[in-house]
Amino acid sequence: MAGLELLSDQGYRLDGRKASELRKVQARMGVFGQADGSAYMEQGNTKALAVVYGPHEVRGSRSKSLHDRAVINCQYSMATFSTAERKRRPHGDRKSSEMSLHLKQTFEAAVLTQLYPRSQIDIYVKILQSDGGNYSACVNAATLALVDAGIPMRDYVCACTAGFAEGTALADLCHAEETGGGTALSLALLPRSQSIALVQMDARLHQDHLDTLMEAAMEACKGLSKVLDSVVRQHLQEVSVLSRD
Amino acid sequence: MIKTEKVLHLKSSRGRKVRVVRELYLREQVACGSALCQAGCENDGKLLSGDVTHYVVPDAGVVRDFLEILEFRELCGIVFTQTACQAAQHARGRRHYNRLRGLLKDPRHDCVLFANEFQQYSYCPREKGETQEQWHTRCVYHAAVWYYNHLAGLTPVVMITEDQNTIKTCSSLNSGVYVISTNEYLESFWPDLQAARELYASIAQTLQERESEGVEKEYPEHLPADVLEAGIKSGRYIQGMLNVNKHRAQNEAFVRFEGSTNKNTELNSDVLISGMKHRNRAIQGDSVAVELLPRSEWKGRTTALAAGQGEERAGEDAQSQLMPTGRVVGILQRNWRDYVVTFPPREELQSQSRNSQKILVIPWDYRIPKIRISTQQAETLQDHRVIVRVDSWESTSLYPSGHSVRVLGKAGELETEIQTILLENSIHVAPFSEAQLREMSLNSKEHPWQVDPAEVSSRRDLRDTHLVFSIDPLGCEDVDDTLSIRTLPGGKHLELGVHIADVTHFVKEGSLTDLEARSRATTYYLADRRYDMLPAVLSADLCSLLRRVDRYAMSVLWELDAESLAVCNVWYGRTLIHSSYQLHYELAQSLLNGEGPEVPELAQLESSEQDRKLAELLHALETLTRVARHLRAQRDWGGALELEGVEVRAQLDKDKNIVALVPKEPLEVHETVAECMIYANHWVARKIQERFPHQALLRHHPPPKQEFFNQLIDSAKSRGFTIDTRCLCLSYAHLCCNRLLRMMATQAMSNALYFSTGSCPEEEYYHYGLALDRYTHFTSPIRRYADIIVHRLLMAALQSEKEDCLHKTLASNKELEEMAQQINNKNRAAQHIQKQSIELFQYLYFRDKDPLTDERCVADAIIYTIRANGMLVFIPQYSLKGAVYLKNREGQVVSIEDEGRCTWQAGTLQRHPDRISTCTTAGTHIFHLFDHVTVRISVEPSRCHANSLSLELISNRPHAAARSESRPTGRGHSELVQEVVRREEASQQAVQEKKRPKLSREDREFRQSKKPNLYSLLQEISELALLDSSELNSFQNPKYSIFS
Repeated sequence: MAGLELLSDQGYRLDGRKASELRKVQARMGVFGQADGSAYMEQGNTKALAVVYGPHEVRGSRSKSLHDRAVINCQYSMATFSTAERKRRPHGDRKSSEMSLHLKQTFEAAVLTQLYPRSQIDIYVKILQSDGGNYSACVNAATLALVDAGIPMRDYVCACTAGFAEGTALADLCHAEETGGGTALSLALLPRSQSIALVQMDARLHQDHLDTLMEAAMEACKGLSKVLDSVVRQHLQEVSVLSRD
Repeated sequence: MIKTEKVLHLKSSRGRKVRVVRELYLREQVACGSALCQAGCENDGKLLSGDVTHYVVPDAGVVRDFLEILEFRELCGIVFTQTACQAAQHARGRRHYNRLRGLLKDPRHDCVLFANEFQQYSYCPREKGETQEQWHTRCVYHAAVWYYNHLAGLTPVVMITEDQNTIKTCSSLNSGVYVISTNEYLESFWPDLQAARELYASIAQTLQERESEGVEKEYPEHLPADVLEAGIKSGRYIQGMLNVNKHRAQNEAFVRFEGSTNKNTELNSDVLISGMKHRNRAIQGDSVAVELLPRSEWKGRTTALAAGQGEERAGEDAQSQLMPTGRVVGILQRNWRDYVVTFPPREELQSQSRNSQKILVIPWDYRIPKIRISTQQAETLQDHRVIVRVDSWESTSLYPSGHSVRVLGKAGELETEIQTILLENSIHVAPFSEAQLREMSLNSKEHPWQVDPAEVSSRRDLRDTHLVFSIDPLGCEDVDDTLSIRTLPGGKHLELGVHIADVTHFVKEGSLTDLEARSRATTYYLADRRYDMLPAVLSADLCSLLRRVDRYAMSVLWELDAESLAVCNVWYGRTLIHSSYQLHYELAQSLLNGEGPEVPELAQLESSEQDRKLAELLHALETLTRVARHLRAQRDWGGALELEGVEVRAQLDKDKNIVALVPKEPLEVHETVAECMIYANHWVARKIQERFPHQALLRHHPPPKQEFFNQLIDSAKSRGFTIDTRCLCLSYAHLCCNRLLRMMATQAMSNALYFSTGSCPEEEYYHYGLALDRYTHFTSPIRRYADIIVHRLLMAALQSEKEDCLHKTLASNKELEEMAQQINNKNRAAQHIQKQSIELFQYLYFRDKDPLTDERCVADAIIYTIRANGMLVFIPQYSLKGAVYLKNREGQVVSIEDEGRCTWQAGTLQRHPDRISTCTTAGTHIFHLFDHVTVRISVEPSRCHANSLSLELISNRPHAAARSESRPTGRGHSELVQEVVRREEASQQAVQEKKRPKLSREDREFRQSKKPNLYSLLQEISELALLDSSELNSFQNPKYSIFS
């Protein structure tokens, strides 16, 4: 099989980016009025919607509640129209429950849960269009939604993927690069403290290359955090202008 | 950057059409790759030269179909657009694309890639209803316009396309950007490039005729790639390389597995592919997927000797036991190269040409099927050899179709035949270009080359402290190794030094010379000439460690304990040496034997001085011999093979005369030098492997497989010996038999190969032949590229030790492994051309002799293998191997009459493992293995293939003359070459004299001196033989052991 050439000899990727360039990021906060917090995120052609409810009382059985901190409940889903071929995606399939778990772990590390004992925070994310880097789009969207909901966090959580081709690390993979063979590493970072909330990789990679790959992913995350920060500030400005009126 | 979207329609894995949206980011700054750039593009790497008259931009169709024309080095200033490259990759596949990439990377070609689709202003989105071809052409045109404007109109840009509409519409849109067809372009811009235009015509014709093909299926279709991949993974299909049996190209081909992942134990042998139908359009060397047939359809390997060419004798063939048989279901990777072909004879031509312009031409290589080409020149090219390239093989066609590329010359002429041999082995040896030679430092009378003072301070200076000398064959020009030995102060330690020419100092990595050397990989030795890897100024002068001049060297110095000879310390590094003596083997040996020969270096000195120096040299030689004996003993103890040395020793014990008769036989000093070199190679290998565990270039020699020895054991048994393959030692006193046995042992061994340490488990580093755990090639950088790589690795290792960090990145394991493979392939090819060129000379030698009258055509032969209808024999006098038939085409067999004369009579043949018997009315006669017989050598001319010799049995007794004639066997060959060369010269001279009847005497002499003379020939042959004995390269080439 003739694989795609992920990185040309001139240093261009399939879509014309250089190795360390991110895709175009666009985001909006407060897209829904009913929820406590919501955000819409585009990373290239990957589009995600995140909604946050809470903190509120623990719903259902009380036994789940924790006496010293809040429970974070995540649910991830993909729209049926999110990929090239329409596909029904029932809830609770293995992939999405794994993704939900990963999101939960990420945000448990970032949200100051001990401020809300015996309560629950719900985060719902949906992928509207998928073009690689679903996890990172979800994390970034959920961060904005949490900010919108006013839930205190240690820092922004920024996530990005990185891949490896021809001895060079590629930041922010698109779908073709993710499936074109090679490794993909997703990393969620708290940029100010440089602490890693989650890192995940499910392909083989030589140990020598791991550092460069992590480095590239962290750089990309830092770039993303600047974008998120500007989105939040812009949103704040808009809201404050509105409330002044 | 601007983000846009590109919509593609792709097929999904289930075959449905899917709409895929891909992003596309455009930017203003895209490197243009031209030296004329005014806008300050960040160009790194290759640049288009600014001094061409125009730039040419080929369109997608041209890149797809006419890439070969763009490969001409004369065409310069080519801008490949990304659009065109990707379209070509899509249409023609990976191989085509890799070729294009190679072209772009090669600094000798003046061409660059312009990423036009990422440039904001040259990109144009596809419009509704526009076909892909139109869009591609429009993209390329826009790119050409952008390029012209970007360079501020400094150079006109020519776009070439095959699309007439584009030419019409676009040619007048912009001034400065011309749109013309390829043909017009070649005619108006390169009128001198006849070859390119011919090639264009031939490709264009082929393309045209492909459209009007028939639809009748001759072969089953190949399976799609994903099915093959899945099938190979699940074990349903077997992946391997197709290998066609040279003697039965029509019927038999074998597939050898790649890798040992196959768990199916009964498939340890190769898979037989019987017949063209089952071979399903695969050609020699292709990587194929094979499906096994049911066991009931399995066949056996044919053991009978094929009589004549192209003769079908299915059915009655004697067959050995059944082996797995299969059929090709798909081809994973074509491995086509250029083929040398000959046109069929005139009468056949006429019958063929009636139906079309197509002609079936016959490749030189038996294993390649006939190729269909279309040409109008068939008549004029009757007896010429032509290079042909295969384009495709459709399932509707019985033969592959191709197009002609270049005419080599008349068949039968020495030059043409040599070119054919080179080409068939994919070896290209163009003379060194001016640009390459310009890189070299000069050394002439006016500007003598001198040691650079900066280098003196950075190198260890051994000029005054060490007595350095070289021992080489007589008259050797490229001295790449020298030796030194001395007792260190205190007398407790000896210092042994091996100093190798420092080629890497002169050949910088990535320079043109380096690239050329890398693509050649080795110096090629043919029977009458050689093609050097490095230009002569380096190989014979600046790098060569000649006597009494200062030279740069890479040295390995061992500190040895004077008593036990154990290694105490090793030093590696760059040095400056001054060789005092340039000895040759015979001289060194007679010095050692105390025969007191004249040493030319000492001739002018006074006698007392002379004696002192001589004593000093003698002492050094003696110490060296002692050390080498010790090293050898160490290796022997470890189980090193000794295929070369035994013969001499056995002879020495028995009969001293033979030594005198065969002066070319190894002397002890040969072994001494070889041992030092092996030792240096070994220590360097240890060093680089230790420092770079994943990216060092080593050489290993896998232990032989037991089953390959079966034939050898059988043969030896027939003479009453047993051979234990684990400790191989052959010591049979009979000269010729011993030689044959060694030859067969050699054939049974696997080859020693280069590899990169990262790609091989550590257990497999072992060199079986030399019994060393690490081995590499370090000592002949002038002749072999592997040594140059090792030199660079060693320098990097030393540097990194000193500074603890690497300055430049080394070749990665993958790159190194690729390079190792390439060198291995070239080495194999080099051996093939050598063998084939010798066969060619053998043929030319016998061509003009009448076999019935000329005495030289009758010779003594020894039987070494028995086949179903004949036997294979070896003729020591001419170092020739060949088949002798005991059964002719009428079914008659050889019968022996009085005095051992042979005639053909009706009868039967019976074959046993170690003998073959003929039964006729005259009686029964048995031929045993290793029997001596007399054969007559005659020439079997062949129009299209390599000419061959045929042998005919005339007596079952040893040849009478052979016994009385006590000349050394090794010489037969060189005499033969000499005679052929002389004859060729004479005929050339005759031709020239016809043209210019009056030639001054000086002129004639001058011309003759340019030809290769006999002496240099002999030299090369003996050098080869030596090279071989020094490190058991002989495994790779049985011929070596015959000639040494």
